[in-house]
Amino acid sequence: MAQAPVTTRGRGGRAGTWYLFLVPALLLYSLFVVYPLLTGLSYSVFSWKGTVRDAFVGVDNYVGLFTNEAFRSKLLPALGHNLALFAGTMLVQNTMGLAFALAFSRARRGKRALQIIFATPYLVNPLVIGYLWTLLLSPTFGPANTLLRAIGPDELAKPWLGDPSTALPMVILITTWQWVGFPMLLFSAAIGGIPAEYAEAARVDGASSWRVFWHITLPLLRPAIGTITVLSFIGSMNTFALVYALGGSSGGPAGSTDVLGLLFYRAAFASGDINAVGTASALAVFLFTFIFGTTILLNRILRQGEEAM
Amino acid sequence: MTPRRGAVMVPLMLWGYALVAMIPLFVMVLGSLRPTQDLFNDPIGLPNKLYLSNYTRAWTEASFSTYVLNSVVVVTGAVILGAAVSVLAAYPLGRRKFTGRGFFIGYFISGMTLPGHFGVLPLFYLLDGLNLVDSRLGLMLVYAAGSVPFNVFVLSAFFRQLPGELDEAAALDGAGPFATFRHIMLPLVRPAIATVVVFQFVPLWNDFFYPLVLLRDESKLTIPVGLTHFFGRFQNDWGTLFAGLVMTTLPLVILFGIATRQIVAGLTAGMNR
Amino acid sequence: MRLTRRVAVLAVASLTALVACAPGADSGSDDENVTLSVWGWGPEANYDKMFAEYTKDNPGVKVDARSFTTATEYDTILSTGLAGKDGPDVAWLRAGAPLQPLVAAGRLVPLDNSSVPGLADFNAGVLQGAKGDTDGKVYGVPFAIQTLHVIYNKKIFADNGIAPPKTWEDMIAAAQKLQAAKIVPFAVGGKDDWTLPIITSIFGTSRWGGDAFLDEVKAGKKTFADPNFVAGVDLVNQLKPYFPKDVAGVSYTDAQTLFSAGKAAMFPGGIWEVNFFRTNAPGLDLGTFSAPPPPGSVAGKALLPGFMDGSYGVSANSKHREEALKLLSWLASKKYGQLYTDTVVQFSAVPGVEPKDPILREVAGTYTSNGARYFMNEFAYGNPSSQTVFSAALQEMLLGRITAAQAAAKLDASVATWLKPR
Repeated sequence: MAQAPVTTRGRGGRAGTWYLFLVPALLLYSLFVVYPLLTGLSYSVFSWKGTVRDAFVGVDNYVGLFTNEAFRSKLLPALGHNLALFAGTMLVQNTMGLAFALAFSRARRGKRALQIIFATPYLVNPLVIGYLWTLLLSPTFGPANTLLRAIGPDELAKPWLGDPSTALPMVILITTWQWVGFPMLLFSAAIGGIPAEYAEAARVDGASSWRVFWHITLPLLRPAIGTITVLSFIGSMNTFALVYALGGSSGGPAGSTDVLGLLFYRAAFASGDINAVGTASALAVFLFTFIFGTTILLNRILRQGEEAM
Repeated sequence: MTPRRGAVMVPLMLWGYALVAMIPLFVMVLGSLRPTQDLFNDPIGLPNKLYLSNYTRAWTEASFSTYVLNSVVVVTGAVILGAAVSVLAAYPLGRRKFTGRGFFIGYFISGMTLPGHFGVLPLFYLLDGLNLVDSRLGLMLVYAAGSVPFNVFVLSAFFRQLPGELDEAAALDGAGPFATFRHIMLPLVRPAIATVVVFQFVPLWNDFFYPLVLLRDESKLTIPVGLTHFFGRFQNDWGTLFAGLVMTTLPLVILFGIATRQIVAGLTAGMNR
Repeated sequence: MRLTRRVAVLAVASLTALVACAPGADSGSDDENVTLSVWGWGPEANYDKMFAEYTKDNPGVKVDARSFTTATEYDTILSTGLAGKDGPDVAWLRAGAPLQPLVAAGRLVPLDNSSVPGLADFNAGVLQGAKGDTDGKVYGVPFAIQTLHVIYNKKIFADNGIAPPKTWEDMIAAAQKLQAAKIVPFAVGGKDDWTLPIITSIFGTSRWGGDAFLDEVKAGKKTFADPNFVAGVDLVNQLKPYFPKDVAGVSYTDAQTLFSAGKAAMFPGGIWEVNFFRTNAPGLDLGTFSAPPPPGSVAGKALLPGFMDGSYGVSANSKHREEALKLLSWLASKKYGQLYTDTVVQFSAVPGVEPKDPILREVAGTYTSNGARYFMNEFAYGNPSSQTVFSAALQEMLLGRITAAQAAAKLDASVATWLKPR
């Protein structure tokens, strides 16, 4: 077999060979994910009688969506909450994940145990996470408030999930609690891939730990940071299970945790509308265009930054 | 921070957070050892005496004995299939430039950006047409396909990050693309594979929506469907539910322990190179 | 090429996996024995008990009941189940709006007095919730009626010298007395907003005048912006001081716990709560009362709102339609009605069934004389549904962000998107 010279990230390799690597994934994914999704998107130009397709209606479902005040007035706040969730996830969850990974890269004892403990919340069913945190933060029975009353003035005790000003920050913290294991593991794996000599060489030159992190480790982690950023973005834009479990289908209290995923859920699965499939599909097309477009853009920007290094 | 202070502070903070991470889970385990009646009168408290009826009830009424095997087969099969096809695809997508690469990356990402459960109706019609409703294989394929975008995305980033000299050296030794992939690349991305496997396994293990929509026969159902028996419409049997959750979460903890060993092994392998 | 071959093998393998997944083992029905599959959302043990009786009377027919207790997913599960092969023969149908997509899709067999003779005796109001809105045909045999009222702890009332209130002023005085004794008067959980229309109905129905008002709204003569409806909604605001502190942060289960632990004296809720409290707090001595008429009440008397909860329908795809219809006739019989109310401790929708449970008996008497229709069940149409819109609005009201008039205006605007006055 003739071997083309391999140059990483170069023009090398026969395109045909690389396509073969893609074939199994493409087959599986196209049939069971893309095909149903495209079919689903095509549903948006029809009117529906329950689960039976009725007449072709063109853009009627879209028009109906945007002339509906109850929907329109919720769209921007929901998008804002998704973006706040993304910002919160980046600042709290991913920063903590990186800090844990760095700490573990040096730790000798207790590393495995701690890694498992930090990731355990992820293993629990999201519905139950909602119940557990509602209980822990409850204004009537919650130990969190009992503790706060014990250590400080009574004003510290709050209905954390029942107050519109604190509910969304709580969602960010609980998301972090649930998910922090993921960036932690991904960063751990990435840090493990950095040859130890790089840092050693720098230390021999007298660089402090902080400078080693800032000038050597962090730049080398850019692909991992990019991956986690994009996944956090998608995760934040599509978040559903946890907000549903914590605030119900309307994103309570008073819509303060309403997100795009709940908007779709209400249109698709909790409406009193025979044409729910048509309306919900139109909404899905709209959300998909926006989220997918932004994700591709974000991915491109991050990759360009990476390759400019 | 001086090394000495760091040596004390860092473990202290880590174990402090470990406590926060575990508190809700302690509540769950303690709850599983108390009768639901007690839970309703005093939601957070210690068990008075050893009370194991929740466990026996969960085991029998949720038919766990029937469902465990189904869950293991379906979820394990899906995760292995999903990871296998994804790691193949991620290699060229992460390391090579070829016509259409950008398109394929976008194509795979698109599957992650739709609202949850959006495709359930067309998916149901598709499987119905393929005679895959009420089939464990059908559910497995749906799960495996659903895991492809995330897997491809994470794994290709890992391939991209590996030092460039590796495949050059392999090429100089005369290795072909598949040999390079199999013998050089695959061992290096093992920690990443372990990561995606764990992070795909968990939501599938916990999912009850798709089994409820796609399976019919009692003998084919998976564990979470059993748990839904305790989420009553107007009565939630929390004690039994907690017991069921403890039983279903334990295998995940064990899996996770094994996976972190893989990750650690991968890390050491990475460092030696 | 080794590589190409390996990839090709993988590709072929995945393809064959797809093709080879031909139909699994055929569940096949024996010639003599018919198995009817029934889907629903209640506790499964109850079904097994009830259908065992049917098999006893009808040898050769087995009933395989499956329960999908997560109510929110049930609609999706049922709509796909009825659309494909191997779905249920008989299924629980939700009342009113959620039933309509199934009717419109032609998934159900319309019923009449000849196919299900028992239907003729059912109360017309009860059957209304099992009808298709466009064709007026009946699609299900109703099984349960739920009533909404205040459930109270008899011991706490006695300890504080309180009797079930006959007037609104009595109720407020009782609430104040309880509050002074450090007991939460009303256990309400405002965090789970689906409970709020129920609370509103319990206290407000008498104020806006019950069924007459609903009919006027449907006829286009009045709207939910009507001052009488607004005043009814505002009663919830007036009672807020007697709800738990920070009520919008209190969950439904917290509210249940407050009551079952004896920290709250009254629980405004549905009849289904009675059995829940019996099971989880067997020591409680329970009573119920309908909220007394508030000042300005249009009805002028206490009203007890209730609604038809669901019905049994037959799938149009059923291979055993005849046997399924026969089962429905049994489900419309007094025998089943009695079995249902005794097993589930809720009201059967079958006419003439007398519950044995003392609390149910008491409520049944009041419902016959003072019953009214629960408003929300009949106005749950639209996308987003008016029920969702109003539940969220009531939560905002409890947070003090909007007034009762604004909450009612939101319901009015939502209803206007779909209501076509007759």
